[in-house]
Amino acid sequence: MKDKTIRRILGFFAVISAVLVVIAVVSVRNIKRSMTSSDWVNHTHATILEINGVLSSLRVGDAAVLTYVVTGDPQNRVASREAFSDVAEHLELAKALTRDEPAQHEELVRLETLVDERVEFSRDLLAARQSDKPDAVRTLLATDAGAEALGKIQRGVEDLTNEEMSLLDDRDRTSYVQAQTTRWTVWAGVAVDVILLGGVAWLISDDIAARRRAAAVLQEANDVLEARVRERTAALTSANERLTAENLERSWLNESQEHQLRYNQLIINSISDLVFVLTKAMNISRINPAVVRLTGFEAQDLVNKPFSSVARLADGDRAAGAALFDPIARALAEGRDLRDQPALVEDKNGRITPVRLMLFPLRDRDKVVGGVAILHLGQQSNL
Amino acid sequence: MGAIGAAFAFLLASLHAFTLEDLMADSKMSPKRFASRFGDFSFQVFPYVQDPEVFLNTENGNCQDYAIMADYVLKRKNYETMLVHVVLACGAAHDICYVAQVKGYLDYNNRIYVRALQRSGRTIREIADKAADSFDQDWTTASVYTYEYSEDVKHLTMTIVKTDPPAEDPDRVIAGAPPSP
Repeated sequence: MKDKTIRRILGFFAVISAVLVVIAVVSVRNIKRSMTSSDWVNHTHATILEINGVLSSLRVGDAAVLTYVVTGDPQNRVASREAFSDVAEHLELAKALTRDEPAQHEELVRLETLVDERVEFSRDLLAARQSDKPDAVRTLLATDAGAEALGKIQRGVEDLTNEEMSLLDDRDRTSYVQAQTTRWTVWAGVAVDVILLGGVAWLISDDIAARRRAAAVLQEANDVLEARVRERTAALTSANERLTAENLERSWLNESQEHQLRYNQLIINSISDLVFVLTKAMNISRINPAVVRLTGFEAQDLVNKPFSSVARLADGDRAAGAALFDPIARALAEGRDLRDQPALVEDKNGRITPVRLMLFPLRDRDKVVGGVAILHLGQQSNL
Repeated sequence: MGAIGAAFAFLLASLHAFTLEDLMADSKMSPKRFASRFGDFSFQVFPYVQDPEVFLNTENGNCQDYAIMADYVLKRKNYETMLVHVVLACGAAHDICYVAQVKGYLDYNNRIYVRALQRSGRTIREIADKAADSFDQDWTTASVYTYEYSEDVKHLTMTIVKTDPPAEDPDRVIAGAPPSP
């Protein structure tokens, strides 16, 4: 969850950064366009200024020439020269400014012809006045179109000014639209960024709430777990105590059983009768010391040997196949006791000793698993 | 009394002032040295170019007087100079004298500063940008012109219009300079 939230926040910040970059790029581009538009607006103002400068300087020059003609004051001559110099300067600048406006440029060239004519006339007048030729001055003044010539120039200037004003209107509108576009771009970008920042804030607050919930759930789970651990520990302690007691009791029982076993062993070993413990197959599995004393066989000589190799019923046949009909084996197989049966025991040296035989089958849950044969050396009356 | 006082002041000024002849006689004349002579001059607008001696005597003039005089003196000291007339967006104009050897121009507005010479690129557009920038203004046209005191007439020889593509500027076309990026 944590990684996912961080990824989302980083994603948001990446988008915010991208928006900022886009705003910056678009704004810089718009500002450049706006500056270009502003340059065009300035350009148009300058054109209007220069075109009108032509007329005003021409009027100043014209007036200075006429004053000089009347007064002969050299200062007026200087003034007229400067004014006509200004006219030329204004014309040059106006022509340069209208280089990319063919119609206006053409009109300006026509205007220049009229202006040149007017300047030429003024120069002729100045020359005539300077050379003190009143007749020539009078002739020139008589032929001068005067107000009409200036009127033509003025109309030309007005037409050009109107055309430039129309251009100015368009360029100013373009400049305004670009400024407005920049404004909208910046505000739209800011709005998008604010929304994205709101998203980030919501994401962070949601993440904090989720973490708090997770912490509470974890605390609850820990509490439950601790309670279970306490319960389980108590149960284990109790079981341990019970097992310790049982172990102690079992230990006591084992000791008691061992003691009983040793006691029983002592009883069996102390009796004078020959005791054979037999397997279900009538093999000897255990004997008491009385057997060793009478037969001369050691226990290891007899264990796992057939009982019939040592003892048999007195009327029993030792021939081959007689074992199948051994009454002792049959009695054991049938789970019957044999009591006080005359029998014979053959010792290590082949000497036969008459005994009385008793057989007791050993049962485990009603199933014969073996037997105990006891041979008593008592009276040998039947032999 | 007033006339005597004015005459006395003019006399004092004359004693302190220098002449065009002094400037021309200065064998160590350089753009920087030229600018250093005008530190005390004051500013006044005249609708015409002042006579050089009047300008120097009265220590009163404008950018046009200063630029034209710099062009006059330095050209005769074998400097490659150029008079530039920059028209600002407000309609006012400013004249400066560009000196190729020092890659900068002399500006009357900088005469009181230690760095009286303003470094600049050599294209007219770069010069106009720099000059207009010193007024915190835009410019519309910049013209190269020539002027001789004897004739007292400005001759515009080349005009750059700001809205024209820089690559088409006449000075670049002439010099074969690469267009601005």
